[in-house]
Amino acid sequence: MSQPITYAGIRRKQTAQTATALVLTTVGAYLAALSCKVDLGVLWEGGSKGAEFLGYFFPPNWSAVADILTPALETVLLAFLSTIFGSILSLFFALAAAANISPPWLRGLSRFLLAAERSLPEIVILLLLISALGLGPFPGVIAMSLGCIGMLGRLFSDAIEEINPATLESIASVGAGKRQVIVYGVLPQVLPSLVANTIFRFEVNIRLSVLLGAVGAGGIGYQLYYSFATLQYQRATTAILITLAMVFASERLSDFLRRRVAPAQKL
Amino acid sequence: MNSTLDRRHLPSEKYKRNAAWLSALALVVVGLCAYFKFEPLLLITDFHYLVNLVGEMTPPNFAVISTKANIFSSLLQTISMAFLGTLLGGITALLLAVLAAKNTSPNPVLRTAVRLFLSVERVIPGLVVLLVFLIVVGLGPFAGMLSLWIGTIGMFGKLFADSIEAIDPEPVEAVRSVGAGRLQTVRFAVVPQVLPSIIGNLFYAFDINLRAAIGLGIFGGAGVGYEISMAMKLLRYRDALALIMLTIVLVFVFEKLSDALRNRVLGQDLLR
Repeated sequence: MSQPITYAGIRRKQTAQTATALVLTTVGAYLAALSCKVDLGVLWEGGSKGAEFLGYFFPPNWSAVADILTPALETVLLAFLSTIFGSILSLFFALAAAANISPPWLRGLSRFLLAAERSLPEIVILLLLISALGLGPFPGVIAMSLGCIGMLGRLFSDAIEEINPATLESIASVGAGKRQVIVYGVLPQVLPSLVANTIFRFEVNIRLSVLLGAVGAGGIGYQLYYSFATLQYQRATTAILITLAMVFASERLSDFLRRRVAPAQKL
Repeated sequence: MNSTLDRRHLPSEKYKRNAAWLSALALVVVGLCAYFKFEPLLLITDFHYLVNLVGEMTPPNFAVISTKANIFSSLLQTISMAFLGTLLGGITALLLAVLAAKNTSPNPVLRTAVRLFLSVERVIPGLVVLLVFLIVVGLGPFAGMLSLWIGTIGMFGKLFADSIEAIDPEPVEAVRSVGAGRLQTVRFAVVPQVLPSIIGNLFYAFDINLRAAIGLGIFGGAGVGYEISMAMKLLRYRDALALIMLTIVLVFVFEKLSDALRNRVLGQDLLR
């Protein structure tokens, strides 16, 4: 005999579930705090030290602007180059990973590779490449290009799978080969979404190249890290301000371009 | 005479435009490659370095997981940093979003100030925040956690504020019309409407933060990122490969786990 469903019963069940979720989250947070060595005392003490320390950052060292602008430009160019290479590579992986184009075994394989790449942070790829190829923009560009593949490949292949199959059939029915179906049926339909996602990835790459630069890919990330490491905090402030301007500008630009390319795209 | 040449035998306007854009792009790319002395050929001529590295890295030395005492705790640290950073960041972002949204903000001046703060904070790179926190609390996972916290606020404060502004106003009016105060309105009319999207976004944020925690760990001296970079620096490539593979599995498993949890939480009407 089952209980009749009552409002009070549903409420009780919901309350119990919410309470379970809250308790689990709290316990998880407590354990995580232990593992992270969270210490509010340290934060409190460091807070006043940090506030005093922030004083060293001002005023920004404007004479360093000239030194830093070139690396900043390099960062933008590196991000741009990597985005172009990365999106081209991604397109091949995406075609191989799309259910409506590629055979099941190839699809499974490339989906697996894409997922594995997405789990591998770009900075780890860069560390590997630096040990093989040395420091400099070369490994940086390769790391960032490879880093695009996981995300863009997945998004591209999802876009390809969503296209209208009738178009592909009609092109195939008049005798088009696989390559022709891709060029005349697939690409025109997915192009706006590909371009929009690529532009979005450019924005991601700009932020990323700041971090990668600090590890050894050069550019403004290196300037930033170097200024901190050599205690030139006023120079660091200049680098931070230039980075902020750069990231902000790339965000505006990418918003604007995406709206032009694909007005209805939601990312 | 050439003038009899039919227009349809010439390339179309669209084709010419596309060709022009593509050639311009190709020129820029080639120019940039030249500027950075980036020769794609290097990939082929220097390929043996990569092969050497792969040779030195294989087979992965999985024994490092059991022989080195702190590997397990460094994995836990990375996960904890991401978890706490996401949780605290999500809570803070929600509080700030309530202040920043037009329909819930108590005061227009405060609203503008919070909006401005959120949009500036959004563009500060994680590395800068981390470097500052390293000075405040010293090397370790705590600094990484704090900078992920700040990063999550930036990632989601504005998004949450936008989603609060987009809610259906009728429940708000209904709740208010029966005498609810400001806090009660937020609790019973706003939160139930935005919570599913917020929870969904937080699971997504956790995925991002887990990856970021690995990267920040390299600078912060904590977590599995630090262990990987140390192993690489000490030329213990076989240890490094084992750690990298472990990291991939970790990120992959947690992505699946957070997908499953999200579907579970959002699937039933747990949050109404």
